[in-house]
Amino acid sequence: MSESLLFAETTLQEVALAIMTVVYISRLIWWFRFKAGKERQPETGAPSTTKAKGIVYSWANILMPWAMESTRRRLFNYLQFVLFHVGVVAAIGLSFVIPYLPGLLEAAWLVTALQAAIGAAFVVGIYRILRRIARPVMRMISSPDDYFSLVLLTTWFAFAFLAVPNQWQQGETLLLVYFWITAFFLIYVPFSKISHYLYYPFTRYWFGKSMGYRGVYPIVHSHK
Amino acid sequence: MASRPRSYKAQKVIDRLGQKLNRQVVGSLAACVHCGMCTESCHYVLANPDDPTFAPAYKADRLRKLFKRHYDWTGRVLPWWVNAQSVYTDEELQELKDIVFGKCTNCRRCSVNCPMGVDFATFNRMARGLLVHVGIMPEGVAAVSKDQWEIGNQMGVLKEDYLETVEWMSDEVVDEMGDDKAAIPMDKKDVNIVYTINPREIKYDPRTIANAAKIFYAAGESWTMPSEGWDMTNFGLFSGDDDLGGAVARRVYDKVHDLNGKILVMSECGHGYRSTRCEGPNWAGYDIDFEMESSVVTMLRYIKEGRIRVDKSKNPGAFTYHDSCNFARSCGMFEEPRELLNLVTNDFREMYPNRAENYCCTGGGGAMSMAEYTPQRLKSAKVKADQLRATGAKYVVTSCHNCEDGLNDLIKHYKLDMEVTQLVNLVAEALIVDKKEAVAEVAAKAAPAAELAGYTILVVDDEPDMREFLTTVLEDNGATVLTAADGDLGLEMARTHKPDLMTLDLSMPGTDGAKVYETMRKEHDLKGIKVCVVTGKPELRKLIYDRDIQRPEGYLDKPIAEDSLLLNLRKILEVGSEKS
Repeated sequence: MSESLLFAETTLQEVALAIMTVVYISRLIWWFRFKAGKERQPETGAPSTTKAKGIVYSWANILMPWAMESTRRRLFNYLQFVLFHVGVVAAIGLSFVIPYLPGLLEAAWLVTALQAAIGAAFVVGIYRILRRIARPVMRMISSPDDYFSLVLLTTWFAFAFLAVPNQWQQGETLLLVYFWITAFFLIYVPFSKISHYLYYPFTRYWFGKSMGYRGVYPIVHSHK
Repeated sequence: MASRPRSYKAQKVIDRLGQKLNRQVVGSLAACVHCGMCTESCHYVLANPDDPTFAPAYKADRLRKLFKRHYDWTGRVLPWWVNAQSVYTDEELQELKDIVFGKCTNCRRCSVNCPMGVDFATFNRMARGLLVHVGIMPEGVAAVSKDQWEIGNQMGVLKEDYLETVEWMSDEVVDEMGDDKAAIPMDKKDVNIVYTINPREIKYDPRTIANAAKIFYAAGESWTMPSEGWDMTNFGLFSGDDDLGGAVARRVYDKVHDLNGKILVMSECGHGYRSTRCEGPNWAGYDIDFEMESSVVTMLRYIKEGRIRVDKSKNPGAFTYHDSCNFARSCGMFEEPRELLNLVTNDFREMYPNRAENYCCTGGGGAMSMAEYTPQRLKSAKVKADQLRATGAKYVVTSCHNCEDGLNDLIKHYKLDMEVTQLVNLVAEALIVDKKEAVAEVAAKAAPAAELAGYTILVVDDEPDMREFLTTVLEDNGATVLTAADGDLGLEMARTHKPDLMTLDLSMPGTDGAKVYETMRKEHDLKGIKVCVVTGKPELRKLIYDRDIQRPEGYLDKPIAEDSLLLNLRKILEVGSEKS
């Protein structure tokens, strides 16, 4: 293995992760310097709905496609969401497996599983790019960051898919590109919309807390 | 390059945004990934599928871009990259006004459908508040807010009108119950319940007050209505003005303290309930030390405790229930109204979707006071109309006065054969009273109807059927009726005969109703004639209500139910007129 690949797999990733962490922490400090809204009102709703239940329900919402009408009626979109995010986890995991646990990739089933997950995410990424370009409403709400983040992730998926077998002996280019994109991705994420997962636990926490307190969460389904 | 000049108002909006941001709102502003999942949850989008500017994420971005440009580092450093953008001119603020007031009813349906937990409605309300802070708002919002600040209620009902109307209803209940103890108490101290209402009940639907009084009487309740702080509605919720919200809520809470009441009960009003019960303590910074509940809960409790008995056969017909967004989606009042409805009717048909997923009546968020957006609102109401139609019900019940108006509008617009009512009316109708009282009720009902005897009423309407209907009903009830088929003739007859009251259609050939009304209010000899607007085109209301002239004493939507017509005309004639 060349020095440059070794650097890309380890030192570069560590530096990128450190930068990401610093930016994330400063982002959280910035956010939490805003005062928190306070709810003074007495609890409403049936005893079966509480703040705690609301929070748990809100967090678990994403695992329950039946919970929201928007996911219940658009299961295809929900499936895309699942595939895309499973792919992200697999591609990120790969960046740790290759340098630190390369022996795992000797298992053919794992290579196949990772390629299947990342490959599916790539296909979804392509679909999402086309959808964002083709649908007027998506175009209207999209910023350059939205397009770039999507293209970046989709490109990253492509190289991650090819890097999964970790065959550096047969050429290092694919692996080098994958790790350099991963590093860029890690540094770029906190500045982009991809950082939404940083907000997710908090936004859902507050919304769930309020809705639970007021007796709305967990939602009683209304479909026939 | 010289920086672009910014108007005073635009700068104030930016500064105010910084003051209003809190952790939750910042989270909602920062977390949107523009996934578009919220799009089809909005009734405006469903009615305008080809117009992406109705999409919740697009509307939300109008404020988000401002936040990003001034308060989020990514937008400050690379504004074009994240679509961060500032505002510079008053015209841009006007455009923002048309979005946050005209294209969203703050119904919160998109909020509960956002995978990220972004609460669009909350920051749409905040955006409204920023604009209101610099005086940019629909005229109707300004007028109603002014009334609530200055007069203490959002319909500008003067104290004497309020007291007279309650007293009138009190007399009616006493007559009907045959018992002086059924009178409506006013400012009685140390009571169990302080009952607050929506001023719409005073202005247009006082029967709900009488019906509530009957129920309290039958339950043997210790209760009172307050002479001040009686309006539990709160336009601060709609205008985004937390200061107004706090002042209005505090007025109500203070009165409950003055009277040493144990429970503050709010009549059926979705936004009133949310404002007073849920948001008011936050706006007012007030820690509540008494209980608060909706009259729906109170009525249900009476039945469950056996304090009142009901006979559901007295409410024949098929009923459905419309969940008010504020009452249900924002306050969790889902099952109580359904349980009560099932106790007082035989044929309840669920509407789909319902509860937290129900569609807005389309009149929420103060939309009924924003006449300039009426065509847009009625177009978006198609989804609600389809929902109503699918139930096959004759009556739609709602625990919200705002929804009642919104639903009435769309029922007329989409020509649905339905009527809107509230639970208080159904409970009162189903009430089983003892034999003595029943006799009194029968006697009261059997009394000869000459309620308008001695009054001369001029009917001005170009529709022959409507003139005939009004003439028949009014003459049957003792009034002397004159008719005019157009505005010019109406004015001429008013000058000649000086009637006590004129019913005035707005849409007429020649001189229209708005012009007739303006002339009536300007001409010295005609000023004293009371006017009740009767129209089938609610979008024309702005012709009168947006003018800087005294408002008419009454307003009725066509088609008119006979009892509603009589009640409202009697109120106008017997209970004094509105403020100037």
